[in-house]
Amino acid sequence: MNLRAFRAPTVVALALLSLVAVGCTDTTVQPKSTVTSANVFNDPSSYQAFIARVYSGLAVSGQQGPAGNPDIQGIDEGFSQYLRLYWECEELPTDEAVIGWGDIGLPEMNTMTWTSSSTMVVAMYYRIYVQVVMANQFLNETSTSALAGRAALSPALTTQIQQYRAEARFLRALSYWHAIDLFGNAPLVKETDPLGSTPPKQANRADIYNYVVAELTAIKDALPSSTAANYGRATTQAANMLLAELYLNAGVYTGTTAYPQALAAAQAVISSGAYSLDPNYRHLFMADNNTSPEIIFAITQDGKRTQSYGGVTFLAHAGCGGSIMSAGTYGIDYCWGGTRLKPEAYAFYTAGDKRSSYFFTNGQNVAVNDITNFNDGVAAPKFTNISSTGAQGSDPTFVDTDFPLFRLGEAYLIYAEAALRTNANTAQALTYVNQLRERAYGGASGDITSAQLTLPFILAERGRELLWEAHRRTDLVRFAEFTGSAYIWSWKGGTKAGASTDAHLNLYPLPGSELVANPNLTQNPGY
Amino acid sequence: MARARWISGALLAALVGTAQLSAQGPTGTIRGRVIDGSTQQAISGASVMVANRGALSGTNGAYVIPGVPAGAQTVRATYLGYAEAAKPVTVVAGQTANLDFLLETQAIGLNALVVVGYGQQKAGNITGAVKQVTATEFNTGRVVSPQQLIESKVAGVQVVDNNAPGGGLSIRIRGATSVNASSEPLYVVDGIPLGNGAGGGLSAGRDPLNFLNPGDIESITVLKDASAAAIYGANAANGVVLIQTKAGRNAPHVTYSTSMSSSSVTRVPQVLSPAQFRAAVAQYAPARVSLLGSASTDWFSQIDRSAFGQEHNFAVSGAGEHNNYRLSLGYLNQDGVIKGSANNRLSLGVNLEQRLLSDNLDLRVNAVGSRANDQFTAGDVLGNAVSMAPTQPVFDPTNVTGYWDWSTSGASASNPVASLNMSTDKGSTWRSIGNLQTEYALPFLQALKAHVNLGYDATKTSRESFTPSNLASQTRQTHGQLSISNNTQANTLFDAYLNYAGALNVVPGNIDLTGGYSYSQSHSEYPYFSETGIASNLLGVSGVPSATNVNLGQSVVDSKLISFFGRANYNLNDRYLLAFSLRRDGSSRFGPSNAWGYFPAASVAWRISQEPFLKNIEALSDLKVRASWGKTGNQAFADYQQYPTYTYGNAQAQYQFGDQFVTTIRPSAVDPNIKWEQTSSYDVGLDYGFLKQRVSGAIDWYTKKTSDLIFTVPVAAGTNFSNFLTTNIGSMQNKGLELSLSARVLESGAHRLGWTADFNASHNANQLLTITTAGSQVIRVGGVAGGVGTTIQVLEPGQPVNSFYVCRQAYNNGTPIEGKYLDSLGVNTVSSCDSHNLRAYHNPAPTWMLGHTSSFTYGHVDLGFTLRAYLGNYVYNNVASNGSYNALTNGGSPSNISSSVLKTGFVVPQYLSDYYVEKGSFLRMDNATVGYSFRYRDQPIRLYATVQNAFTSTSYTGVDPTAGLNGIDNNIYPRSRTVSGGLSVQF
Repeated sequence: MNLRAFRAPTVVALALLSLVAVGCTDTTVQPKSTVTSANVFNDPSSYQAFIARVYSGLAVSGQQGPAGNPDIQGIDEGFSQYLRLYWECEELPTDEAVIGWGDIGLPEMNTMTWTSSSTMVVAMYYRIYVQVVMANQFLNETSTSALAGRAALSPALTTQIQQYRAEARFLRALSYWHAIDLFGNAPLVKETDPLGSTPPKQANRADIYNYVVAELTAIKDALPSSTAANYGRATTQAANMLLAELYLNAGVYTGTTAYPQALAAAQAVISSGAYSLDPNYRHLFMADNNTSPEIIFAITQDGKRTQSYGGVTFLAHAGCGGSIMSAGTYGIDYCWGGTRLKPEAYAFYTAGDKRSSYFFTNGQNVAVNDITNFNDGVAAPKFTNISSTGAQGSDPTFVDTDFPLFRLGEAYLIYAEAALRTNANTAQALTYVNQLRERAYGGASGDITSAQLTLPFILAERGRELLWEAHRRTDLVRFAEFTGSAYIWSWKGGTKAGASTDAHLNLYPLPGSELVANPNLTQNPGY
Repeated sequence: MARARWISGALLAALVGTAQLSAQGPTGTIRGRVIDGSTQQAISGASVMVANRGALSGTNGAYVIPGVPAGAQTVRATYLGYAEAAKPVTVVAGQTANLDFLLETQAIGLNALVVVGYGQQKAGNITGAVKQVTATEFNTGRVVSPQQLIESKVAGVQVVDNNAPGGGLSIRIRGATSVNASSEPLYVVDGIPLGNGAGGGLSAGRDPLNFLNPGDIESITVLKDASAAAIYGANAANGVVLIQTKAGRNAPHVTYSTSMSSSSVTRVPQVLSPAQFRAAVAQYAPARVSLLGSASTDWFSQIDRSAFGQEHNFAVSGAGEHNNYRLSLGYLNQDGVIKGSANNRLSLGVNLEQRLLSDNLDLRVNAVGSRANDQFTAGDVLGNAVSMAPTQPVFDPTNVTGYWDWSTSGASASNPVASLNMSTDKGSTWRSIGNLQTEYALPFLQALKAHVNLGYDATKTSRESFTPSNLASQTRQTHGQLSISNNTQANTLFDAYLNYAGALNVVPGNIDLTGGYSYSQSHSEYPYFSETGIASNLLGVSGVPSATNVNLGQSVVDSKLISFFGRANYNLNDRYLLAFSLRRDGSSRFGPSNAWGYFPAASVAWRISQEPFLKNIEALSDLKVRASWGKTGNQAFADYQQYPTYTYGNAQAQYQFGDQFVTTIRPSAVDPNIKWEQTSSYDVGLDYGFLKQRVSGAIDWYTKKTSDLIFTVPVAAGTNFSNFLTTNIGSMQNKGLELSLSARVLESGAHRLGWTADFNASHNANQLLTITTAGSQVIRVGGVAGGVGTTIQVLEPGQPVNSFYVCRQAYNNGTPIEGKYLDSLGVNTVSSCDSHNLRAYHNPAPTWMLGHTSSFTYGHVDLGFTLRAYLGNYVYNNVASNGSYNALTNGGSPSNISSSVLKTGFVVPQYLSDYYVEKGSFLRMDNATVGYSFRYRDQPIRLYATVQNAFTSTSYTGVDPTAGLNGIDNNIYPRSRTVSGGLSVQF
C-alpha cells in the first residue's frame, strides 16, 4: 500500500471522530423513576394525591412509611413527625406530662429550659412551614392559569379541585394557627410569594391571626360536608372549630379578645347537628375511633397504610413502660417507656371520674423524683390500639387510632368558657359542661351547679376532659398560668418542686438556624 | 453511543487498511535483547527507540529495528518500572548492529515512566505531585482490597479501613474536600474511570474495589495535586488513583502463589465482669436483683474466633515479538474474626496486546471479572455483646430458639449468639470491567499517535438479609424481616485522543501535546424488596413468605459525562518544564445554566541539577523545584438534583379520605442550578536526589480551597419544600506539608546486607471557611448511639470539618462530676450541657501521618516491615459514653455497660462530655515480613511469612483508634492481628 491510499481513510476517520466529539454533547438526562413538575399533572389523579399529601404532612414523617424518606432533616425522622412535635410542645412543659428519655432536645421540654437550638422546637417550626409551602404549592398548581395550561379536566374533577383548594387553605390556616400560638411573630408566606431563595418578611402575630381568620371565613362553606365519606378531610365544621380556637385565644394573639365570636363559632359546630358526644369516652382514643360520632377533625392513622414512628403510634407506645405494664393490653407490641403524668395532672381527678379509669398506678410513684425513671409518675396509657370491641388494631407496631384534633366535647368547653367570659348563655354552658360530667361519672353524681361553673373550673375541666390532647399549653397561656408564679407544678423551670418562670417562655424561640437563613427575622424577646 | 461504536469500528478498519512509509537514504538495522539486570530474565514489551524509529522487545526480550539511518545514533530502551538505558551505536548502511540492554528496576528512578492521566511521563520531568507505587513496594500479607497495597506508602494519602474482612475502605488524599458530596478519589483502572464514591462503583459487599485482585495489579499511581489530576476535570478534586493491571512479559511462564492466614482479635470493649455487674445491679437497681441469673458469660468470647484465610493466584503470561498476554485466576477466602463475617472472591483477569502494521498499531485488551461473596455479622451482634447481661447463659433449652433471652415487652439487650446463628446477611457482587485500547502511530508522522479506548464496567449485585421473627428483639418489634436488593450498573466509555510528542522546529525544546474527547454514560437499576412481620422463618432468604408489611421499590438512574481535554507539556533541555492542561466537562448532574465546566491547570518546574553549574556535582543527582496551580471539580453527588421532582409515597404513607386510602405525591426541595464543587489548589514542591538517587525524596507544600461546596443547609422557612436544601454554598480549605525520603542505606549484593528505608510524613490542616453567605450557621452532625438524635460533631465555620462538639467536663480531683460542666470559656461550672456551652473540640483527622518502611536483604533472606503513626487524631468513645448505671434500671431488663462507668460513676449518660473524646494517636506496625527466595531448577521460588498489625501502641481505651473516618467508636468491628505464610513459584 502507499501513502495516498492511507491518507484518505485516516482523514475520514479523524473527521468522523471529531463528528462524534461534536455530536455527542447533549448532557441532559431526565429522571425516570420519579415524576417531575413538568409531567406530574398529566395524570389527573395527581391532584388528589397532592392534597392528600398536604393532609399526610400532619400524619406521617415522609414518603416512605414508617420511615426512610423524611420530609425534614436535622432530626431523627420518627421524632420529626408533626403531631408528635406538636404534642410535645403542648404537653411536656405543662402540668400534664413528662417524658423520660434523654434524647437530644427532649429533656428541656419537660422543664421549660429550651433554647433556640432545641431540636423539638426547631423541628416544630420547620414542620409548620413545610405544611404552609405544600399548601401554597397546591394552590399554585391548581390556579386558574395553571389549570388552563394543561389538558382539559373532567367537570367533576374541576369541581373537586375547587374543594381541594379550600382544604389546602384550611390546612395552611391550621398550621399558621400553630405558628402564632407557639412562635408569635412569624413569616407569612402565601401562594403568591415566589419559591426559592428570597427570605420572607416577618409578620405580626396579629396580622397572621387576621389573615387566618379571613381565610377560614372565606373558605369554610366551600369545604366538604360532615359525612362519613369525608372522614379525615377538613369540613365546614372543622373550620368553625379552628375559628373557635382562634377566637378563644384572640386576646393572647392580638391583645383584643373575641369571646363572642368564639361562642358563635362553637355554637355553629354544636348546632350543625353533625356530631354527638360519644357515650363511651374511651372510644375516642381507641383503634376504631374513626367511628366515633364526636370527632370533628382527626389526624388519621392506620396500622397498615399510614405508618410512622410519630403520631398516635408514639403516644400509645411511649405511654407504656416499666416492668409490670404489658404492651399487649394496649394492642401494641412494645413499650417505649417514656411519658407519664406529672403529679398535678394525676390530682385533677376525683374518685368516680371515669376519665382516669385507665391510669396505671401499680408499681408507679405519683411523684416524679427522677424524670428518666418510668416508674416515677403515674402512667396514662390514654391512646390504645385496642378497638371498642376489644380487638387489637391491624398492626401491633403501628396503631389504627386517629388523633382527635377537634371534637365536640371541646366545642362544649369552648362554648362554656366563652359564655362565662362574656357572662351570657351561662345556663346553656352549664348544660354542656354537665353533659361532659355525666359521661365522665356515668350519671349525675359529678354534675356541678351554676355557682361552681367558674373560669378556674373551666381550666381544670379542660385538663380533665382534654388530658394529653395537645391543648394544655395554649390553655395555661390563655389563663396566664403557664409562666410566672401563679401556678407552680413539678419540674416547672427545672426543679422538682417547680419554680416560677419568665414570661418570655410563653412563646417558643425562633430556631437559631432560621435566624441565620432569614435575616429578616427578629427573635422573640428573652431568647 | 451506538453511533460512537460504529464510528470507532470504522476508524479501526480504516487504520488497519493502511501501510507504513518506507524510509529514505542508506540505512542499517539494530537488533538485540532487553534483559532485567538483576534477574537476568528477558523483558518483553520494552520500548527501544532510535531516531524516531522504534520497536518493542518480544519473546526473550529480542527486538529488531530496521531502516535506521546510517551514522552515529543513540538508542534508548524504556520499560515501565525500570530506569531508562541509553547506548551509543554507529549504524553502517546495510549492516546489522547488535545492542543488548540491561534494565535496572527503579521504582522512582528519574527516567522511569510513570502512568499519568491519558499517558505516561518520565518521573524526572513530572511537574506535579505524583507518586507511583509499583508491585515490589506493595504491602504484603493478607491484602483483600487494592487500596491496602499503598497504605502508609504515600505521603498525604490516608487509607481508612473498617477492620472487617475486605472491609470498606476510604481514601483521603490531602484531606477531605467535601461535606455532602464524596471526598473519595477517582479510581481509574487501565484507563477506565470507575464510579464515584468509596472504592468506585457498585457493590453488595464491603468495598466496591474488591472486585480487583491485588495480585493482578502492576502499579498504583496517586495524582495528588491539581496539575496532575485536572485532566480528569469534574472528578478530580479529591485526587486520582490510577491502577494499572499486569501485562504479559518474558517467555511464556506460569506463576502460582498461595498463602494461608490466621487472624485473631486484638482488643474488644471492656465491660463489667459478672461479679461487677451483680454488684452494680444490687446497688443501682435493687428491684432487679431477682432478674440477675446465675451464669457467668463472656459474650465476646462467644462471638469472636480465630479466623482462617487462604489465597491462590495462578497466572500464565508471556510475550512474543508482536504480542503479549497474561491470564490470571485468583481465589481468596478470608473469614472475619467475628463469627458470621467472611469474604471470598473468585477473579479472572485477561490482558492481551497485539501489535500490527509494523508495530504501528497497538491493540490492547484488558478485562477483569470477579465474583465476590460477602457475609456480614448481623448488625446488632457487637452491641449486644456489650449490653447482654453477663450473668445469663447462652443457651436455654426451654426457649423456642434454644437460646436464653429476655422475655419482656420493654427494651432489652438480646442474645448476640442467637442473632449470629439465626440471622443471615450476605451480598454477592459480580463485576467486570474491560476495555479495548488502540494506539496508532501515524506512519507519516510517527510522533503523532491516535488513541481510542472503548471500555465497559458492568456490575450485578445481590444483597439478602433475613432476621427470623422468633429472635427476642424481633418479638418486641418488627416481627421478622427479609430484604433483598438486586442492583445492576452498566457503564460504557469512549475515549479518543491524539498525542504528539517531538521536537519543535521553530524554537528549542520538545513538546508533548494531547487532545481528545471522552464520552461516558452510566445506567443503574436498584430494585428492592423488603418485608417485616413475616409469616414463616423456614425459607430464610430463599423464599418470600407472606408478611404484614411489604415494601417494593425500583429506581432507575442514568448519568452522562462528556468531556474535551487537552494538555501541552513543554520541555527545554530537561531543565525548564512547563505544563498546561484544560478539561471541559459536561455532566448530566449539572443544572442547565451550569451544564459545562472548565478545569484548567498549569505547572512549571526547574531542574536545577541539570544546569551546567550543578551538573558536575556528582553527589547531587536531582534537584527540581516545582509549582503548580489548578482548578478541579467534584461531581460525586446524587443524580437529578436539579429537577423539581414529585416523590410518590409508598403504601404505608397513604392518607385516609373516608374509607379510601390515597397514595400521595410530595414535591422535592430543589436547586435547579446545582453544579460541581470547585477546588482551587496550589502546590510548591522540591524533588531531591543524592548519590545517584541512593537518597531521594520530595517536599511538597500545598493549599486547596474548595468553593461552591455541595451543602445541605437550612433554608429560610417558607421558601422551599423542606427545611434543608442541597445547594452550592460554603467553602473550606486544606493546607499541608508532605515530606518523603527514600534511602538505600546499605547497597545489597551477593553476600552483603542490603537495607532500604522509606519515610514519609504528612501534615494536613482542614478548616471549614463558610457555610452560608451571611451569618454563622452551625450544623450538628455525627449521630451516636444512645439517645435518638444525639450528635457529637459540628460543621462550624473556622473549625475543621466534623470537629467534636462537646461540653467541658468538670472534675473533682480527677474524677468527672456527673452533670457538671464548665461553660464554653472554661470558667464557671454549669449544671447542663446546652447549646451555649458546647464548643468545637478536636477532630477525627490526624494532624500528622507518619509512615516508614524498611527492607533488609541478605543472601536469600529478606526482611521488611512497615510502621505507621498518626498524631493528633481524636476518637469519640461511644461504647464508654453509653456506660452509665441507668442502663441497669431502664427498659425491660438490666443491660451490661462499659467498664468506663467504674471510673466515672455516672448514673445518667453524659453523651456530650468531652471526657469521651479521647486522643487517638498511635504507633502501629502494619506489617512485618520475612522471606526466603531461592531457585529450583532455575526457577524462582519464594517462601514468606507476614504478620499484619503486629502491635499498636496507643493511649486510646476503646477497641481501635482508627475508628473509621468519622472518629466515632460505636461497637466497631474489632481489629485483628493476622499471621500468614505463603509461597510463590514460577515454571
